[in-house]
Amino acid sequence: MKLSLKALATATGLSLLSGAAMAQEIVVIAGSVEDAFMDKIKKGVDDATTMVTANGGTVQFLRTQNYENFGPDLVTLINQAVAQGAKGIAIPVWVPDAQIPALKAARDAGVVIMQYNSGLPVMKDIGAINYFGSDEYAAGVGGGKYLAEHGAKHIVCHIQVPGAINLTERCKGVTDGAKEAGATVTVLETPPNLDGDVTGTAEAFKAALIGDPSIDALVSCADFGAAAAVNAVEQTGAKLQIGAFDFSPASLDRIKAGTQTMAIDQQPYLQGFLATSMLFAHLKFGTNISTNPVLTGPAIIDAANVDAVVAGAALGAR
Amino acid sequence: MTTKPTAGITLRHLASRPEAGSFVGMIAVYVFFALMGGANFIGAPGISSVLNMSSEVGIIALSVGLLMIAGQLDMSVGSVVPASSLTVSLLAVDFGVPDILAILGGLAVGLAIGFVNGVLVSRTRIPSLIITIGTMFGVMGLTLGLTILIHGSTGVFLVPGDAAKAVFGQLIRNMFQVSILWWAVFVAVIYGLLHVSPLGNWIFALGGDKESARNAGIPTGKLTIGLYMLSGFSAAFVGVSQVMTFNAAQVAAGQTFIFNSIMCVVIGGVLLTGGAGSVLGIVLGTLTFCIVNQGIFFSGLDPNYGSIIIGALLLIAVMTNDKFRAMALALSAGRRS
Repeated sequence: MKLSLKALATATGLSLLSGAAMAQEIVVIAGSVEDAFMDKIKKGVDDATTMVTANGGTVQFLRTQNYENFGPDLVTLINQAVAQGAKGIAIPVWVPDAQIPALKAARDAGVVIMQYNSGLPVMKDIGAINYFGSDEYAAGVGGGKYLAEHGAKHIVCHIQVPGAINLTERCKGVTDGAKEAGATVTVLETPPNLDGDVTGTAEAFKAALIGDPSIDALVSCADFGAAAAVNAVEQTGAKLQIGAFDFSPASLDRIKAGTQTMAIDQQPYLQGFLATSMLFAHLKFGTNISTNPVLTGPAIIDAANVDAVVAGAALGAR
Repeated sequence: MTTKPTAGITLRHLASRPEAGSFVGMIAVYVFFALMGGANFIGAPGISSVLNMSSEVGIIALSVGLLMIAGQLDMSVGSVVPASSLTVSLLAVDFGVPDILAILGGLAVGLAIGFVNGVLVSRTRIPSLIITIGTMFGVMGLTLGLTILIHGSTGVFLVPGDAAKAVFGQLIRNMFQVSILWWAVFVAVIYGLLHVSPLGNWIFALGGDKESARNAGIPTGKLTIGLYMLSGFSAAFVGVSQVMTFNAAQVAAGQTFIFNSIMCVVIGGVLLTGGAGSVLGIVLGTLTFCIVNQGIFFSGLDPNYGSIIIGALLLIAVMTNDKFRAMALALSAGRRS
């Protein structure tokens, strides 16, 4: 999940998509309406809804307005779902401290919980029946391995928000994955006041590349980090494989143009689609997936498959 | 015998400049990072790193600084940067508009947002902090909504034409962004505005005491609107230069410029309550801020310590500025008597 908004203002409250007055069978809860990543999840939920309605069920899709008051907002949505008599809730766990008590209460009231996208370590605490999402560490391992197997010997793993646990996990994964394939990893943290600043970050990369010419690959936890790395390469002429976690249309264009090597995707479409459809199938047909958790990532996007991803992106699913 | 008093006057003159504190601070951090960062930091890579970052935040800091001297704040710059860069790329990519018109469109967005800010600030009694936070959110939402509506995603990839790339986005000698030259242009123009033209006195007067300024016949409303339009234009200019440099525009870029530009201005000795400050000071503050931000990556120190140094600098700047100002006042008073 990407927290794309970093503004000073206080919470602007919640706007709930108001559904029909009748009881909903399934409620799917997701993050901010301002987060493009969530739109891909929504596409998956929408497609699954077709299957659900064909079988006589209903799906209500709820999103928070923003990330300013995230924990309480999520709890409000959970309580709303329970109050509406939902039989199942599909939800990521982003703020465990706030969400776990609310989800436990929902489960005690007989609601089935399906988890997706985030919070794998607390799956047992909320008693979710399954998890569809990526594991930050596993995604990192996949990325580190990819770069090392494609010839990298010394990889820089860039963290744009020092101290963020999920990003630290990613770089830990990159380190271990690269080690397996014989490469070393240096973690480069840039201070929060450079988060989103492509120029400032590009210059930081340049300093790293000049300071240590043995660096031959860079993977950033932020999509904008890839743009910054491309600029650093222009400035220094270094030969560098460039990768990033998550991707934007701009990164797909860079991969097509050959300036970016790869992007690590967690396939949010699959998360929304599977969490919704499998929760409904469990309630309606009593099915269970024996694989648990189900990892939807890492899926590496590179020159070999970028065209298919571009086509999927045009349809809103990638 | 003649050199001694001259030296005395020069020193006195230097110390009585309000930028003296900023200058000493800049030299101190530069020497520190030059010692830590070695040849790379002193050479072209380090200089270009500091200047590249300075040029972007510096262009915004200059006009935000003018506003602060006039007693106002502008938070909306953080959303004008992406609004402008996305306008440019949406116009060029989705509507096939020629580069030059797309760029003018991006700059016009900045002027328009500045105009709205200026009108709201001058016509209401709401603090500019609140007004510009409001426009920041409004612009952010519009940018996001329109970009998704038009382009179907939150980022746009753009390959600018050779001319536009050369003017706004090229790298000189492989390392120096052309925006450094643009920064110099902005410095010259805003220096003229604040320290040469009569408008400068109006700006200082506005920040010193708005009521007296109005009573003295200064068109405070027009002046405020003009300053906000300049600030919107500057932020839009940085948006243009970013999209031309990185060939991509993204909705979630630009927020860092809000605090970073204010820090440059304050480290540069501009009084937070308005009424005092200088272009030279803002430039020195910007360089100081960027030396610390980039020097840390050449030094091999944990980059998180950079934030500590910046925080400390900010506090020291605010504390010493008052001291230097008092000293300057005392000295000039002494000279007069």
